[in-house]
Amino acid sequence: MSNAIEIHQLHYRAGRTFEIKDLDLSVPAGAIYGFLGPNGSGKTTTIRLALGLLRPLAGRITVLGDTIPENAPHVLARVGFVPEQPHLDPVLTVRETLRFQAAFYPAWDWPWAERLLRQFELQEQQPFGRLSKGQKGKLMMLLALAQRPELLVLDEPTDGLDPVVRRDVLSALLDYVSQRRATVFISSHLVHELERFCDWIGVMDNGRLITAVPMERFKNGVKRLRISDAPPTPDSPPFVLLAREPANGTTETWLVRDWEPQMTRYFESIGAVVNDVIDLDLEEGFVELLRTFRSPRS
Amino acid sequence: MFRVMLYSQWKWCRLIVVLGSVAGFALPLVSVQGAARADSSPLQAGELLQAVQSWGTLYPVLAAALGLLVAIATWAPDHRGRHVHALSLPVPRWRYVLLRFSAGAVLLAAPILALSAGAVLATWSATIPAGLQGYPVALAIRFALAVLLAYAVFFAVSAGTARTAGIILAVIGSVILVQVVASVANVDFDLLGKLQVAVLNWPGPLAIFTGRWMLIDV
Amino acid sequence: MFEHLDPRSSTPLYAQIANRCRVAIAAGELHPGAALPSVRHLAAQLRVNPATVVQAYRDLEADGFVEMRQGAGTFVREVAPEGRARERARQASALVRQLLADAGRLGVSLPELQAAIAEEIGVGTS
Repeated sequence: MSNAIEIHQLHYRAGRTFEIKDLDLSVPAGAIYGFLGPNGSGKTTTIRLALGLLRPLAGRITVLGDTIPENAPHVLARVGFVPEQPHLDPVLTVRETLRFQAAFYPAWDWPWAERLLRQFELQEQQPFGRLSKGQKGKLMMLLALAQRPELLVLDEPTDGLDPVVRRDVLSALLDYVSQRRATVFISSHLVHELERFCDWIGVMDNGRLITAVPMERFKNGVKRLRISDAPPTPDSPPFVLLAREPANGTTETWLVRDWEPQMTRYFESIGAVVNDVIDLDLEEGFVELLRTFRSPRS
Repeated sequence: MFRVMLYSQWKWCRLIVVLGSVAGFALPLVSVQGAARADSSPLQAGELLQAVQSWGTLYPVLAAALGLLVAIATWAPDHRGRHVHALSLPVPRWRYVLLRFSAGAVLLAAPILALSAGAVLATWSATIPAGLQGYPVALAIRFALAVLLAYAVFFAVSAGTARTAGIILAVIGSVILVQVVASVANVDFDLLGKLQVAVLNWPGPLAIFTGRWMLIDV
Repeated sequence: MFEHLDPRSSTPLYAQIANRCRVAIAAGELHPGAALPSVRHLAAQLRVNPATVVQAYRDLEADGFVEMRQGAGTFVREVAPEGRARERARQASALVRQLLADAGRLGVSLPELQAAIAEEIGVGTS
């Protein structure tokens, strides 16, 4: 199986305004796939559809080789899921919650669960409902990891958590991924966090997947150029021109995609000068991509 | 799997089960005492019947209440969490529902057994005419069936979507509202009475709730 | 040793990690035979993709600084003094290149830069 998750032509509608249409998404096995998008773009809905919690109107979904939703229970036994909101029974204590979950997952690893319990410093006798947000987040990650899944689907697992807890949670996640070649599908709108460890990036906006590329291509491809003496209408550039803004005097700022270093020669050929090639970090690249996608080209 | 389901369900329902067991144990004792005391002479036959009438209605009420409360307690956490937890577990939905139902039924054994114990104790301690010695067993069986039936009905209602449950409650509410309006307007329209006759007295499972519970008759 | 890893820098993360190790080895902080942190440990500690750590270690192995022993870990190799000197020279060139690029961007001329360097060195040694 080459793809852990395969979504083909997904169509879903909720209410009158929200729609996911013609969504094609593939997560390669063993990848750490970052799923980016602003709030309300459809990330959570896509995840719920992928795991069979919602029914699509049309489309084909295959997770770990099995179709969803027909084989959902069989798939879910191998998937560690951390939903957006804490979903566990508030009445059960931490220890009781562990026992409850352990009964459902055959691959549950008790020694490791105990070790994570100590590492996360969770109080065993505290009812889930009385845990702090950070503790809930840690417990949910613990439960997802302790069942030793092949695939981890994490819906904004660090949202609203303080930096210390975020580090703990992500360290435990990467520790697991290093141990076994699990696939991770993690959604977030904290771009800088995903930047460190994702090797694929998919960006969603308004129910559509606007780009899905390996991380290096996304990071390296989008650049900001400082150009002087550029003609008003340059002819067929080798890169994709996303935006063009005047800076000062004859200098302009160009935002481009699919840039490669040798493309400076193009500017010489049109009589312009490249003053600077500025890297954009993932967050800036993401913001610029959304900006140009939403508004028409200037 | 069943064990952990039972445990979590116990945590949700324990107050209901404990109180229900106490009530179930006490009810036969108190009601038979009431009936027996009135049985000392033929002159007090009327009192006996009255006692029987008043105490007898508490059995179906307790049975219905237990069934309703345990059913609600079983599904409330699921509805509150929008079913995310249950749907994310690696069990088919039908199996999950079956596990929940069985767990609730097991918990309801406690009040049923408590009532049986109370009934046995009641017949043993009070002076009751011979021929009624089989009464505790009959009472317990009837109570058990009533409880489980009420549980099954309310379980089915609660297991549906919140929208379905809301619709059913809305229907019940509107029936009551119509009845209230009718009586206020002095219109001779006994809707609730007719419904009660139709639903409860009609020969069917729900008839278990009506009729004589205490079997003590003159 | 691995503080200030910058995912936003144009240098890929694996290169940054490899660089830190190179500097540490060249400076003698990591002795020959010392074990580098395991891939698992470092990935968790730095919160980076384990593949990133593996790539960094492979880079170091290709340059002859470490050897990856199957099942045992990654260990620092004996690097001859010339090797270390070569590495230090490489680091110095990289620093100068960065300095010149920054100066160019700020509009600082070469004579101005040299004057500043001389002054700073003078201050440093006085």
